Amino acid sequence: MRDTAVQTHPSLALHRPRWSRARLRRHAVPWLFVLPILLINLLVVLGPAVAAVYYSMTDWSGIGAADFVGLANYQELFFEDPSFLSAFVHNVVWLAMFLTVPIAMGLIAASLLAPIRRGALFFRLALFIPYVLPSVVVAHLWSSLIHPDRGVVGWLNERGVPGTDIALLGRESTVLPTIAFIDNWRWWGFLMVLFLAGMQNIPPDLFEAARLDGANRWQEFRDVTLPGIRPVLVFMILMTSIWSFLTFDFIWIITQGGPAGASEVLSILVFKNAFQNFEAGYAAAIGITMSLFVGVVISIFVVLRRRGWEI
Amino acid sequence: MAKRAGPQQLAAVLVFVLLVPVAAISGGSLATRAQDKSTITMWLDSTSGSETAECRIAAAVDPFNAQSDSVMVEPRLQPNRWQATQTALAAGEGPDVVYTPGPAFATQVTEAGQFLPLDAYAEQYGWNERFAPWALDLGKSDGVLYNIPNQVETLALFYNQTLFEENGWQPPTTIDELAALSEEIAAAGIIPFAHANQEFRDANEWFIGEYLNHVAGPENVYAALTGEKPWTDPEFVDAISALNEAQQNGWFMGGVDRYYTTTFADANAALAAGEAAMKIEGSWTVADLNTFFGESGSEWGWVPMPSTSGDAIYDLGIGSTVSINANAENPDAVAEFIDYLFTPETQARLVVECGDSPASVPLEEDALAGIDPQYAEILVAQNEASAAGGYGYTVWTFFPPETRTHMIENIERLWSGGMTVEEYLQDVQTTFDQEVADGAVPPIPNRSLTG
Repeated sequence: MRDTAVQTHPSLALHRPRWSRARLRRHAVPWLFVLPILLINLLVVLGPAVAAVYYSMTDWSGIGAADFVGLANYQELFFEDPSFLSAFVHNVVWLAMFLTVPIAMGLIAASLLAPIRRGALFFRLALFIPYVLPSVVVAHLWSSLIHPDRGVVGWLNERGVPGTDIALLGRESTVLPTIAFIDNWRWWGFLMVLFLAGMQNIPPDLFEAARLDGANRWQEFRDVTLPGIRPVLVFMILMTSIWSFLTFDFIWIITQGGPAGASEVLSILVFKNAFQNFEAGYAAAIGITMSLFVGVVISIFVVLRRRGWEI
Repeated sequence: MAKRAGPQQLAAVLVFVLLVPVAAISGGSLATRAQDKSTITMWLDSTSGSETAECRIAAAVDPFNAQSDSVMVEPRLQPNRWQATQTALAAGEGPDVVYTPGPAFATQVTEAGQFLPLDAYAEQYGWNERFAPWALDLGKSDGVLYNIPNQVETLALFYNQTLFEENGWQPPTTIDELAALSEEIAAAGIIPFAHANQEFRDANEWFIGEYLNHVAGPENVYAALTGEKPWTDPEFVDAISALNEAQQNGWFMGGVDRYYTTTFADANAALAAGEAAMKIEGSWTVADLNTFFGESGSEWGWVPMPSTSGDAIYDLGIGSTVSINANAENPDAVAEFIDYLFTPETQARLVVECGDSPASVPLEEDALAGIDPQYAEILVAQNEASAAGGYGYTVWTFFPPETRTHMIENIERLWSGGMTVEEYLQDVQTTFDQEVADGAVPPIPNRSLTG
């Protein structure tokens, strides 16, 4: 019975809707539209990515031929090179700072600005403007401002204000948090604008209902605002985590990783190995490792989402 | 209603009609001339602005293009030229005339087979007679010439002469005198050395190189570079200890944190204002000194960097090298331009008009008329040192790249107490041994070679 059910009459086979034109169009046409970008992606993303994996297992100097060395670069990276571990720790510290300070500042400022109607544009612009300034300008501006012999801090130092005689960017204990502060000064306004946009999409009825239920400002923020902007918040936490492993510009401009490697992060190591030490294969191994760290962060988000977390 | 053309409009039309054929003829002939010439490319670094690059074009490229019947050089301003060049060479591209930041970098590119041998051109154009032998030796790999060393530089002790005269201080000649004077200057509430590395961490290598050559002696540095002596020997321990002591005493800009966060402009301003007394730096600083001292009304002076023996030692550095890209379509044309670039006349123009350091070619004294007299003195002294073979070895010229990076970075760990002098030198030795095995050490000219 089963056999007969699956058998098809020869005449019917002839008239089978032959991957009918409509069906073909439905399935194939979208692929045709996607094909150009897919090809470009293969060429400029997947190709170099595969090449980077290959070069990470060679002794390539960055120019000329490369000899395959297997996992020797990774062995050196994980077991012999203390600067790698040190740079990784700095990236983790950087991540911790950027997952807390700017996000908290952005949330607080956005929730304070959200109810403001008069002069709202002025405040938003004022807080957003640092984000459009080039990082090289911001870096030099702040390096001068906080220098104990010039700028605002220098002026205070001249007048004997305690604690202003410290070159924050010249001490190993303070250099990384100081650069993070400068980078954050530029970054948090952008977060604030995103959070503000998210808050303005929350239906006002929800706030009204919360107030009718007797919620105070904190309860309103915790139970209405935060859930309302969760997609934006989670996305920015994810992106901040990724960018924290890739950070380069401010550190390079201000200290180039110094003093004594106290602000050296993985991307600085990649640059130095690739362009100063002629160790492009080793630099590729560091780059691949950075990608793995980022992959781990993304995987955590994916797993949590699959487990039902609304993120 | 149509307007009638007035006399002025008619005159304008007439001028246009007359000029078009003239422009077409002259433009056509120019175009034809340009087409007849082989076009070669070169990149000029414009990371710190385009002024110097444009000056070099005016002093070297434009005159060459005007006088050559067969070659046309197309210059391009390129920020971060070295990084761009590395990337382009890796892709089999890049300019025909390739610049590297020095022999250590050039060696790597040569090993990768990206440069053409120059021996035939050296023969054809007489470069072997024109350049100091030690300089051409630096451009060789396995005895074959690939790179022409450009911009020979040296370092010296610069000081605020007015401040010295006011305080009755004498410029030191020995390392002991330098240390004693530094103590005296610091006791007077003045910063002994206007040293800083905020904008350029690699500035550390200036002081490492000076202390190695002037405390341990250039013969010992030569022996270590050629593998006849380990870097961990007591002479080098003494040298690095002396450098560490200077930093720990707060002699460099008043303390290590200030050293890391002061710009060159602020350091020069402090020196000119008499807030600092001296600085060890390369001959390239003369233009800045003239600017800052000109504003302050004080005078600056210079002496050779003091040494243990009291002998004048000039550490030689090569600011860049010039080579022919292995993928150049017309290497003969590139060689013709390189020959022109290194004629004494072109080098003199680059020195006088752009403040460049010259290559190791003989320069006529008349051709250098107009340059700062103290700069002229330094050039003469460095040329004499190079000719006599009694020179020292700068880190960026004679040390392999990874050893150089370790030296620059770990000296900060030493200064911060994270390393001892012995650990620092052991790391130098380990890294150097590895680079010797990898063939990454630049060719060290035989010390007996003289100009």
